[in-house]
Amino acid sequence: MLAEKYADRIQKIFAKYPDRRSGIMDLLYLAQEEYGWLTEQALEEVAALCDVDPTQAHSIAGFYTMYSEKPKGKYWLQVCTDLPCALRGADDFYAALCEFLGVEDGGTTEDGLFTVEQVMCLAACDKAPMLQCNFHYHENLDMEKMKAQIEQWRAEAAQPEQPEDERP
Amino acid sequence: MTDTVTITIDGQDFEVPKGMNLVDAAKLHGIGIPVFCYHPKLDPVGMCRMCLVELGNVAIDRTTGAPELDEQGNPVIRWFPKLQTACTQTVSQGMVLRTTSDMVVEGRENILEFLLTSHPLDCPVCDKGGECPLQNLTMAYGPGESRFIYDDKIRLAKHVPLGKLIYLDRERCIQCARCTRFCDEIVGDDVLAFHERGRRLQIVTISDPPFDTKFSGNTTDICPVGALTTTDFRFGARPWELTEVSTICPYCPVGCNLNASTRMDREFGGKAMIKRIMPRQNERVNEIWICDKGRFGHHHSRHEERLLAPLMRNKSGELVEVEWPAVYKAIAKQLKAHGDQAGFVGDSTLSNEDLWELRRLAELSGGSPRLGLWPATMSGGDVVAQVGVGSETRLQDLGPGSVILVMASDFEEEAPIWWLQVKQAADRGAKVVVANARPTKLDRYASAVIHYRYDEAVGVLNSFTAPLLSGDGQLGQGNGWGALQSDLQNAEVTHADTANLLASAENLVIFLGSEGLTLEQHAELMQAAANLLIVSGHVGRPNNGLIPVWPGANVQGAWDMGFSAEATADLLANPPALWVIGGADVAGEDIRMATALEQAEFVVVTAQFMTPTAAHADIVLPRQSFAERAGTYTNGLRRVQRFYPAQGPIGDALPDWKIFAHVSAQMGGPRPPVAAGTIFRDIAQRVERYIGMDYTRLAWFEPQFPDVGGDDLYYGGTAYSNYGGLGLQWPAEAEAEQPQFSVRPVRTAAPQTDGLTLVPVWVLFDRGHLFEKSELMHHRMPQPYAAFNPDDAARLGLTDGDRVTLAVEGHELTVTAQVGDDNPAGAVLLPRRLSGDATLSTPAACTVQKIESMQKVEG
Ligand code: SF4
Ligand code: SF4
Ligand code: FES
Ligand code: FES
Repeated sequence: MLAEKYADRIQKIFAKYPDRRSGIMDLLYLAQEEYGWLTEQALEEVAALCDVDPTQAHSIAGFYTMYSEKPKGKYWLQVCTDLPCALRGADDFYAALCEFLGVEDGGTTEDGLFTVEQVMCLAACDKAPMLQCNFHYHENLDMEKMKAQIEQWRAEAAQPEQPEDERP
Repeated sequence: MTDTVTITIDGQDFEVPKGMNLVDAAKLHGIGIPVFCYHPKLDPVGMCRMCLVELGNVAIDRTTGAPELDEQGNPVIRWFPKLQTACTQTVSQGMVLRTTSDMVVEGRENILEFLLTSHPLDCPVCDKGGECPLQNLTMAYGPGESRFIYDDKIRLAKHVPLGKLIYLDRERCIQCARCTRFCDEIVGDDVLAFHERGRRLQIVTISDPPFDTKFSGNTTDICPVGALTTTDFRFGARPWELTEVSTICPYCPVGCNLNASTRMDREFGGKAMIKRIMPRQNERVNEIWICDKGRFGHHHSRHEERLLAPLMRNKSGELVEVEWPAVYKAIAKQLKAHGDQAGFVGDSTLSNEDLWELRRLAELSGGSPRLGLWPATMSGGDVVAQVGVGSETRLQDLGPGSVILVMASDFEEEAPIWWLQVKQAADRGAKVVVANARPTKLDRYASAVIHYRYDEAVGVLNSFTAPLLSGDGQLGQGNGWGALQSDLQNAEVTHADTANLLASAENLVIFLGSEGLTLEQHAELMQAAANLLIVSGHVGRPNNGLIPVWPGANVQGAWDMGFSAEATADLLANPPALWVIGGADVAGEDIRMATALEQAEFVVVTAQFMTPTAAHADIVLPRQSFAERAGTYTNGLRRVQRFYPAQGPIGDALPDWKIFAHVSAQMGGPRPPVAAGTIFRDIAQRVERYIGMDYTRLAWFEPQFPDVGGDDLYYGGTAYSNYGGLGLQWPAEAEAEQPQFSVRPVRTAAPQTDGLTLVPVWVLFDRGHLFEKSELMHHRMPQPYAAFNPDDAARLGLTDGDRVTLAVEGHELTVTAQVGDDNPAGAVLLPRRLSGDATLSTPAACTVQKIESMQKVEG
């Protein structure tokens, strides 16, 4: 339960706003951090904390693309394939990435580590190809660099105690 | 006048009220600006862009603050460079509008082209087809052809149940947010919302229970497309085949104006049949809303168990079918034989005409007629006649400066549309005070909440009245003033803040129920309310006075026709040998009544179904439902309203008035009248309150504003225009030129003793013998229960879900215990009409026994 586990952080979030319902977006991020994605239970918990109907939490989670209501891998790789990035080869890069990980567009690897997804402009067009992993940017990529990074993530994931510094 | 401004629309000048938005202002003068997301009962959001217009304002010279003038001396108009949404703009002096220019025409075309890119265009199978604003506006303003690629159309789910009553078709949704705003703004249950964005935007709910408001059906009306449909009407008929008949809801004192949409139907032997119930606009009553009970509660009118022929007991005691003339004779014979030993009871679903003929029959039977009304839970018809709300009270006019006190009532359960209107009054700035023995849903919107012990109810009102009397008594007039003053001299002011709030009110309306009170106690409570209203001067004018939360649609009419709850109580105390019961299932609802009927010599009942009461009877007469005949009901605001025959007749059933009139004729009375209207004429001559009324006058109507049911293209299918009549209100005595007031000290109830009191309460979705026949509503009817306070439960060794036996007045009832913090101590709350078993009308002492070893009950 978020309420018990993160009592302090929740307290701080509510302190920022005049009423509880305003804290909903911060709390949804917190819930996503905790559960990996926004499960129905997560939505209900957040709604209860903010004193709104669960449907309203669901609605907000559905509107913003940085919330996910579907299971996600531990590393959520969002590759920009919008026009400027495409001009710098983001399309091919994305295709190669999918092939390397053995997943379809939007899919998650069997080991549950990686989810890949195409997104619109992330405002780093000049450093394309680029992606964001759990909301952190990785820029000027090519497959060489990417493979090394993926190895690193795999190693990191193999050590269960390590703090998840890639999460916001 | 200062509260209007002049605006120019398409070259013509119009005076319009200040503060109005452009859509309404134009509409006021017959100019249509098409809309989708805007709805006059909801706040504007500007989401759909259908209402685009060219808009210009008078240019103001910044140095002088005066309007700039051109060479000819005319004000210079600054046009917005782009089209503006009329629904989000408020009128201002000198505003200029173009609603038909090329730019506007193109704007509308484009919006419609966008809206239709993903619309399924399944009009041929869509329930809304024929009265669909999207169809209408596309025909009127659409481009005729789409440039979008058909294969890029977004496909979404088409049969999404939102709860068990409403279906959502996500492809048809045009994302106007009327349904979500209705839930949020009007009802206050935020259970619908949008999900995702852009063309994939769709309505969702994950609430539990999903979409469980008492008002869900209204979303299907205000949805401008066929995205929301009811399980009741879905695929039932096409709107253009339907004939609209005006009727009145038979369930609660609000008296919602309804439209029965009927069609000659094969399913119903080719006779006219009700296919759905829709709201009929009456801004003085229900505006454009109705609750789900009124909307879905019409199935009893043609249920297969309807009684079709008169029944009489034969020698061996079985009820067998007989002809009408035979029963008339038999009843007349019994009435003559029993003389003044007869008692009469009229149900709250009986029309004024029925009740009148029942009274005439009673008068013919000798002695002074004993006329009881049913349900007999509330006293105070005389108090209402004196200080009932002023004529032309409109709940939607209550706002800042108004105080609304709701007392002794689980308001949403007892009068849903009033609840909705009071909630909205609170949103507008009215102060709502809720006084009850337990929390209710209205508490959420209250400025002050008072929770009292049932026996303290009168004291609460007295404590509001007392401080008003301690002043210099400038209001001191009328009978009983001095006595009241000295009685309340030392009264404790227990709720000083609330008393101040009430004292400062410009308008004061009191809604009074009777929860937890016996008839005698309730009579005192009504008088206490009258004292408060008279002393504070809140009587005799609109938006001030008392509104009783009567336990039924025509309880007010029954009082007006001479029936009373006290008479019912007296019939119980001194039971007659012969009972004539109109419509009510007294034995099915009340254990005392069941006993009384068992002991009676002869019982005559008019009934739609073989209820426990009918089963007790010696003669059972099949009565018509409200759907098959004409009549009038008088609502809780004393508005007399007509209903018309909507559905074809069933079997040999007759309207109650006809049955009673035929018996009267047998007793030597006049020839039976031929129509309800004739009886009403009789009423209008003999009942002072109804003088001057007749069927023609009751059927008067005037255009309602905002007009959502008219012939315009864009609120189609919402609510229907009121061609059946807006009804007439009879004035309270306080409205007379020289009103005679009388106040008197009231007796407070004896304090509750240690034992438990069984307190009957109302739930809206009950198993009353009529509503129960709407099978689609069964899932909304709670299982029978008795509710306990945790402390009482602990003392009795009860936990939630235990089976218990309640012993009351020598009867035993078995129910499931429900334990909750909200339940008041010392009381066992028992909802009326939830099980097939009779319960109680008014509170009584009871004892509780837990059923220890519960055997598995089948079913
Ligand atoms: S379902 Fe109907 S009312 Fe609700 S947003 Fe869609 S079109 Fe509007
Ligand atoms: S609020 Fe009352 S009168 Fe209106 S529809 Fe519901 S039950 Fe009928
Ligand atoms: S287009 Fe890819 S970051 Fe801007
Ligand atoms: S934007 Fe005005 S009606 Fe929708």
